[in-house]
Amino acid sequence: MAPEWILFTIGVALIFGKIGDHLMERFELPGVLGEILMGMVLGNLIYFGLVNPEYLTLHSNETFEFLARLGIIFLLFLGGLDADVEMLKKTGAVATVSTVTGVIVPLALGYFGLKLMGYPSKEAFAGGVLLTATSIGITVRVMMDLGVLRSDVGIASLSASVIDDFLGIALIIFAVGTGSILGLISKMAVFFIITGLVAWYTIEKYIRFSEWLHVEKGVLGMVLALMFFFSALAEHWFDAAIEGAFMAGLVLSKLPEGKRIMEDVKAIAYGFLVPVFFVYTGAMLDLRVFTSFDALSLAAVLTTIAVVGKVVGRGLGTLIMGWSARKALQMGISSIPRTEVALVNLMVAIHGGAIPESDAPKFIAATLIFITVSVLITPPLLKWAFKEEVEAMKQGKMEKRVEAVKETKRRISILKGPRKNH
Amino acid sequence: MGDVEKALQTFYSMKLKDIMPSIPSMPIVTADSPIVDVLKLLRTRHHVWVVNNRDEMKLEGVIRYLDVLSILLPPENTKARLGNISTVFKSILGGAEKASDVMERNVMTIDENATVMDALTKMRRYKVQILAIVDENNILEGEISLRLLIDEFLRLMRVGGVQWLQNGSSSPLE
Repeated sequence: MAPEWILFTIGVALIFGKIGDHLMERFELPGVLGEILMGMVLGNLIYFGLVNPEYLTLHSNETFEFLARLGIIFLLFLGGLDADVEMLKKTGAVATVSTVTGVIVPLALGYFGLKLMGYPSKEAFAGGVLLTATSIGITVRVMMDLGVLRSDVGIASLSASVIDDFLGIALIIFAVGTGSILGLISKMAVFFIITGLVAWYTIEKYIRFSEWLHVEKGVLGMVLALMFFFSALAEHWFDAAIEGAFMAGLVLSKLPEGKRIMEDVKAIAYGFLVPVFFVYTGAMLDLRVFTSFDALSLAAVLTTIAVVGKVVGRGLGTLIMGWSARKALQMGISSIPRTEVALVNLMVAIHGGAIPESDAPKFIAATLIFITVSVLITPPLLKWAFKEEVEAMKQGKMEKRVEAVKETKRRISILKGPRKNH
Repeated sequence: MGDVEKALQTFYSMKLKDIMPSIPSMPIVTADSPIVDVLKLLRTRHHVWVVNNRDEMKLEGVIRYLDVLSILLPPENTKARLGNISTVFKSILGGAEKASDVMERNVMTIDENATVMDALTKMRRYKVQILAIVDENNILEGEISLRLLIDEFLRLMRVGGVQWLQNGSSSPLE
């Protein structure tokens, strides 16, 4: 492919991605959906023969494939950098237990559901992992509009959604890794000891060395080098570079220098690589796949489990911890939305071979459908689940207003009283 | 060598411990202080240090002037994506109530024996205007801010007989 058309396509992908992001934000939906949608439009212009693939090089292109992979690595690196370990330590028991059940139930339901559909164990497990992580963006927005974000359910729900991202990222190792479960757990332990403990204690010296070099963006360059080393190690051991990128971010997050370089990393990630990843992923969806019964049935099963699995799973954990059934339902519904991590896990599963190339189009279609459905149904469901609380708040406000008016009238009458005597 | 150059040479080699302000003059709150107390301080200061308690003075974090944007804006204005999620929790509407909810935990520090040149280099490298000075047990001992460094430089200029001109240049008056 001609380099000028690859460069042209990168430009097109970025412009369309950012416009898609903007359009979705205007409808108060996650911007990532817009990037995917724009990718879908561009990709299908090629699939339907409306644009020559020579000019729009979004398909079967090594450059885009690599840039998209870099996008995932940067996204997870940012996720690790942004992690607040101290805050996570303070996560309440309800959030912790409901996170665990909220991950296990959709994972198990996804696994058994896909097994029943005839998918092999590894693929079925990968399908289950796609359903584990939650996206908090839409939940935050709706809960705030309803005035319940600062309630016990709101706070627990947000904490739980942050932790289940981490679990979802970790679980993909078991889908793409080779060997026995015990072997994988041992590998994980060694990986975390090397990257975690060793880096934890030597990272400061590494940063000091980067500073000592006194070169332009020296610290940023050296930090990115660390991210790539960790990613390479994780790719080699688990076929999942994201684990390394996330771990590198997590280790760096303990240093002020790590937090300070976040803006530089964000500029590279959200200004370039991440939109390319989402547009490229959207472009992989060939709309003709929906003529296949297999794809539609997979989408229906994954969407149902994505919704039911989370509501039941997180709700169950909430009930176990002694909260009411109503709060359990609210916790469950707040965990329905999925976005980035599901897509990241999907791509890792495809690249790692857990989802074979032949099934990839079906899984891409099904994942994009359950992401879209989960994001669209959450706001009305949350409004319904919190209806009583919202009514009570309105009632409370009304009563307060009536009281205030009475009090004002009483004061006026007191003020008027002495004047009459004069 | 001109007065400005002489002043700069002295300025660069000054030890931070010689110019850092005393603890009582620094803006400090405890981790459990309400956000309102933090905002009151930020009306006149560019940052607030957060310590565990007034007796121990162990440094827990810092809240900078621009962090007020995350505190006051609703969380929906922060795109809750990977890499941005912690900011959501810093909003008052997102549930933040105390100084510890909104502070940046990992504070950039510098040794008290470091020079002004070291401080300026670090500030430029990480785009920060404030550095904490702590002992080996992370007890807050002082601070060094860009504003303080400007004051110190101007003080040196006055000592050297250099006066500022209206247009901002610093050459001596003829």
